[in-house]
Amino acid sequence: MLLHLLNRAPSSSHVPRDVLRAMGAEDRLMLIEDGVYGALNAQVQHLPGLEGRLFALREDLESRGLAGRCDASVTIVDMDGFVALTEEAQRTVSWF
Amino acid sequence: MRYALLVLGGPYTHQAAHSALRFAHAAIARGHRVDTVFFYHDGVYNASHLAAPPQDEPHLVDAWRALHREHGTALQVCVAAALRRGVLDASEAERHGKTGASLESPFELTGLGQLLDVERTHERLLTFAP
Repeated sequence: MLLHLLNRAPSSSHVPRDVLRAMGAEDRLMLIEDGVYGALNAQVQHLPGLEGRLFALREDLESRGLAGRCDASVTIVDMDGFVALTEEAQRTVSWF
Repeated sequence: MRYALLVLGGPYTHQAAHSALRFAHAAIARGHRVDTVFFYHDGVYNASHLAAPPQDEPHLVDAWRALHREHGTALQVCVAAALRRGVLDASEAERHGKTGASLESPFELTGLGQLLDVERTHERLLTFAP
């Protein structure tokens, strides 16, 4: 299982589409930096088929004033949780 | 676990360096070792000791230094990327006939091949890019 790191929003980049094409069935997607915009209700539709495998970094949501605006399907983790996800994955792949 | 971080983003332009630094501290807090941070592309600007940000802003260069001092993290800088961007230690400055140097210990200029060693010898490698 790979952990994919994404720092681009679906509304402003084609990179998220490339990530989805590359992801394996068990892989997880971690949204950081501007990637957390993809966790919002209005944008999460662009990241389909990731039930239970989509995560967003709490600090980056809070720094953008968006805490509490995430779709319920997204698991919000703090930095500690981010590190834990990297422990569980074989390796991480960064998309930017 | 042994972690390594690859930083491709310059300070104060993108979030990459800040994210990497916060990740390093979180990993250490969970009992891991962050043995190496490798700076490449515009990330080499993180190593310029001439950086003098306003005192009420985070001082990234000092923060990397502190990571080395407190946790022994090696701070490796790709020499080719650094020379192109005017980030030189004293010996490179002399070799190229420059009057000043902008990189000093604990940052160290190293070859890109070192990054391959890092990938091989650390259990996790995370890239933080612009």
